[in-house]
Amino acid sequence: MTNSTPSSSSDNSIQLVHAYMDGELDLTAALGIEEKIAADPNFAAARDRIIALREAVQQNLTRDPIPPALQRRIEKTIGLRQETSHPTRRALAASIALAVLVTSGSTWLFLDSKAPQTMEDAIVAGHIRALMAPQPADIASTERHTVKPWFNGRVVEAPHVADLANAGFPLIGGRVDVAGGRPVPTLVYGRRKHIISLTAVPTAGKATSGPSVSVDNGYNIVHWVTNGISYWAVSDVSASDLNEFAKLFRATQS
Amino acid sequence: MGAEGDNKARFAKLITPYLSHAYRLARSITSSHIDAEDVIQEACLRAFRGIDAVGDANARAWFLTIVHHTACSWLRKNRPAALISVVDVAAVEAKQAKFGEHHNDTPETALIAKTDRARLEAAIGSLSLPYRETFTLREVEGLNYREIAEITGVPIGTVMSRLSRARDQLNDMIERNRL
Repeated sequence: MTNSTPSSSSDNSIQLVHAYMDGELDLTAALGIEEKIAADPNFAAARDRIIALREAVQQNLTRDPIPPALQRRIEKTIGLRQETSHPTRRALAASIALAVLVTSGSTWLFLDSKAPQTMEDAIVAGHIRALMAPQPADIASTERHTVKPWFNGRVVEAPHVADLANAGFPLIGGRVDVAGGRPVPTLVYGRRKHIISLTAVPTAGKATSGPSVSVDNGYNIVHWVTNGISYWAVSDVSASDLNEFAKLFRATQS
Repeated sequence: MGAEGDNKARFAKLITPYLSHAYRLARSITSSHIDAEDVIQEACLRAFRGIDAVGDANARAWFLTIVHHTACSWLRKNRPAALISVVDVAAVEAKQAKFGEHHNDTPETALIAKTDRARLEAAIGSLSLPYRETFTLREVEGLNYREIAEITGVPIGTVMSRLSRARDQLNDMIERNRL
């Protein structure tokens, strides 16, 4: 790697910083760009400008849904919408009230006690598959500003991404697993030579619970729920290391 | 009835989940929510007519490609001045590449990150159509370069250069308050 020279910051190379920040580079190319960012202030500046603009977009631009009236018109044109049996406002309000009542009460306990077993199996299977794949992450990056937006459009909600490198848990990247029949975001962290998969699954309600520790197929698992997002950390690191990871990650959520 | 019912079911399963994505793309291309409504209705009819030809896995890119073509046709017919030819864009891109370069030395990232919604929307709205569309597909819809290339019908390298120049122009506009 050469030091910074005017030619090293040519337009084409700078464009690769964009490709890097968009998670479009393979591991080798990504490492090359990370070295350039560390060595050349022009590359670092390009990276910072992308991050700043991305923050501005995330804070200001809402992903407006299609206007309901337009969707109704389309569904009527295509023939998806039947004009029969519209519930009255009162009936609708009553059913919503009932649903809220049920969801906020016993259903949550039912879901919580039944879902984790199958979810846990699926999430551990995802971790094992990732270990067998050439790369444990679909996007390889140590930048949380690159990893988080990569999930946009791939899963319902991009997960919270914490930078725990200083505590010995560097971010490696992210991937999409399938659990409970739907795509879910999984963050990949490192611990010395080991891999930690952290899967975030939206659940009903705004509950917060855990953490709880278990073992499945020889892998340690720490599970907790924060603000309605169910987190599963899976790894072959020691239970104490994984607990430490979970504790540090949870601390960044408060 | 069976085939018609199948097509409706396929439309509901494959297209309906992406109506909001399509609406935002159409609005980005036409710069108007009213025009976007016309475009989406037309695009949905086209998608419905071809729904039995699309595979389940690539329905989103397929539908957004239809929206792209429908919106461009709509602009060509109703507002031809809004469409810049590919040749013009290449010439503009060459100029703007130089324009964006020197600013990399003096980033005012705090200013960029703290810009407000009105200013950001105005800046995005003032980008030329290919830049605006590429930026929206990437930063708002979260599509990857390959998907954007497929939808907009350009090579992946062009997606990369459009995206980097769109970002450079937006940052320059925000930093210089040149709206």
